[in-house]
Amino acid sequence: MNAHKDMAMPFEASSDRRGRQKLDRETVNTLVVFGLSIVLIVCSRFISPALGSWSQVLTVLILASFLIILSFGQGLVILIGGLDLSIPALITLGGVLTTTWIGTGDAGVWYMLPAILVVCAMVGAVSGIGIVWLKVPPFIMTMATSIVVASVALGYTSGTPRGGSPSSLLWLMKSWFLGVPVVIYFTLAFILFGWLLQNFTALGRRLRALGTNRNAALIAGVGVNRLELVPYAISAACAGFVGMMLVGYSNGATLRMGDSYMLPSIAAVVIGGSSILGGSGTFIGTVGGAILLTTLGTVISAIGLSEGWRTIIEGAIIVGALLVLRGEFLTHVGNRMLTRGK
Amino acid sequence: MSAVTANPARRRSPFWRAVISDTGIVALIYVLLYALYAFWQPDALSLYTFTDLVNNSTPLALAAAGETLVVISRGFDLSVAGVVSLTNVLMAVYPLDGPGGALASLLMCCAIGAFVGMINGILVARLGLQTIAATLGTMIICQGLALVILDAPGGMVADFVTYTLTDTLFGVVPIAGLFLVAAVVLWLAFRRTNTGIGLYAIGADEQSARFSGVAVSGVRITAFVGAGILYGVAGFMLSAQTATGNPTAGTPFLMLTFAAVALGGTPLGGGRGSLVGSILGAGTLMLLQKVLFSGGVSSFYTGIFQGVVLVLAIVFGNTVARLLKKDEAR
Repeated sequence: MNAHKDMAMPFEASSDRRGRQKLDRETVNTLVVFGLSIVLIVCSRFISPALGSWSQVLTVLILASFLIILSFGQGLVILIGGLDLSIPALITLGGVLTTTWIGTGDAGVWYMLPAILVVCAMVGAVSGIGIVWLKVPPFIMTMATSIVVASVALGYTSGTPRGGSPSSLLWLMKSWFLGVPVVIYFTLAFILFGWLLQNFTALGRRLRALGTNRNAALIAGVGVNRLELVPYAISAACAGFVGMMLVGYSNGATLRMGDSYMLPSIAAVVIGGSSILGGSGTFIGTVGGAILLTTLGTVISAIGLSEGWRTIIEGAIIVGALLVLRGEFLTHVGNRMLTRGK
Repeated sequence: MSAVTANPARRRSPFWRAVISDTGIVALIYVLLYALYAFWQPDALSLYTFTDLVNNSTPLALAAAGETLVVISRGFDLSVAGVVSLTNVLMAVYPLDGPGGALASLLMCCAIGAFVGMINGILVARLGLQTIAATLGTMIICQGLALVILDAPGGMVADFVTYTLTDTLFGVVPIAGLFLVAAVVLWLAFRRTNTGIGLYAIGADEQSARFSGVAVSGVRITAFVGAGILYGVAGFMLSAQTATGNPTAGTPFLMLTFAAVALGGTPLGGGRGSLVGSILGAGTLMLLQKVLFSGGVSSFYTGIFQGVVLVLAIVFGNTVARLLKKDEAR
């Protein structure tokens, strides 16, 4: 682990645009998270011989792809200083609408899938409207949306969602291309898209400005109110899409299919180095957080720990990450290592 | 400074003051809603129905009362869901029968709540974490512990607890109601202490409270510990209600406590509000469920109403807070 870091860090430092010989917190954190994931995958061989193999790594990456896409949305919401607690309900909504509106076969899938995503995005925008104009705190507003959406899904399906997965989603989740599952190519493309959106577009920069200082962003000419809706809409659409992916993965929808994703989506963002106060964080760090969490989850279930222990470990990781990221602890450690390396 | 904040609306007539005060409006809503309930359900005025309603409302009312302490000090406490689940599960897995057993269980619940509250307080006041983030972490850990102790709904709460705490005293006073009265009495005493005044002061303006000599971190920790104890008692009363354990019993509390607090006239921005209002707010929410049920709304769709009521409660709380502020400025 140390060798990996020492090799990577000077390179990262010299590619720093500001040209200073210091690493910022986000970079150090991203490297630590990816490093820890690799160490964990390698070490997991000692726990069970099945772990750490190539096929196992691919399974972890497939499972991580759900979390990566979710935490992109959650990350944007956290970037502007909010919190999205409606993710499980929107995963269920996306899944249930996919199985009931499209169902097995592929009839109209090319316009129905986007239509479902638009429905989800509109639900997210409604949360945003409540937050911006009704001044309801984000976590309460998204909680309210969540319970309304869950209730609608329950009533709409009368308790048991029917139908199976469209064949195109089965293809996305189940087929392989050049020895790698198709969904991993897709996730890579998504990561590239998310990274570009967050770092190289006006939207990404404006969101970061909004999260750093709302008043300053307003004075700088950013239309803050309308802008604040965008992350909630994106997060909802991402959750809806993960609902579709889960439909393809397990060939059907259930009303509780999203429940286990709420805490990991927040944890991935926090571990990835984003400040829970908003204004800082990178998507690449979040991706690392998602992979680390998924790896950890796989190892935990391989050891045979129950759901409860898994939850406890997740909670402890969130608190630990918050405490570590609170100060300039990582920057400090990173710069120490850098100067010692020279 | 804080005394002014704690007793707003000095310039209006006493009548208007009583109506628009922290608790006046929610009390009015409760009475109107009860009238509607009695209209649909003629036996609503019977002692039995009233006892039932008090029993149903008590766990949420106590949890909302605890949340109020944290909200007044300008914070959010999500650990309520974890503490309620954890204490409920412990009550069901380790039942202690008899009056002594019930007392021991109650003390255990309080101790767990106080411990979680202490950790929250330290994370927030000493280590500088945001309240939502810190309490989210402790909530998750408590929920995990609840799952470890009991991984699926089950277990049996001690008979003594189940029967006695849902009964009435002298056939008139619901015993659960006595817990609420005790909470209110303690609150009325507490808000006159230096710590109680400090609670409002740090909620209104932490910086000036600090300059005025309020021991900010001590007050914050006290608020979290007090809140935790109330969540523990809420879990205790919930167990008496349901007579069984459920590792996710506390989850609905998360949303409902905030709705109750906002409905009770405590703005989520802190610095103002009252525990009494939150208790009435919780009562109103539970009553609303009964009214909807007797009004013939399908149970599938109660979630929609809860969500809408939550948002309306907060918008309502914001509006009241703005009215009061205008009143003060005059």
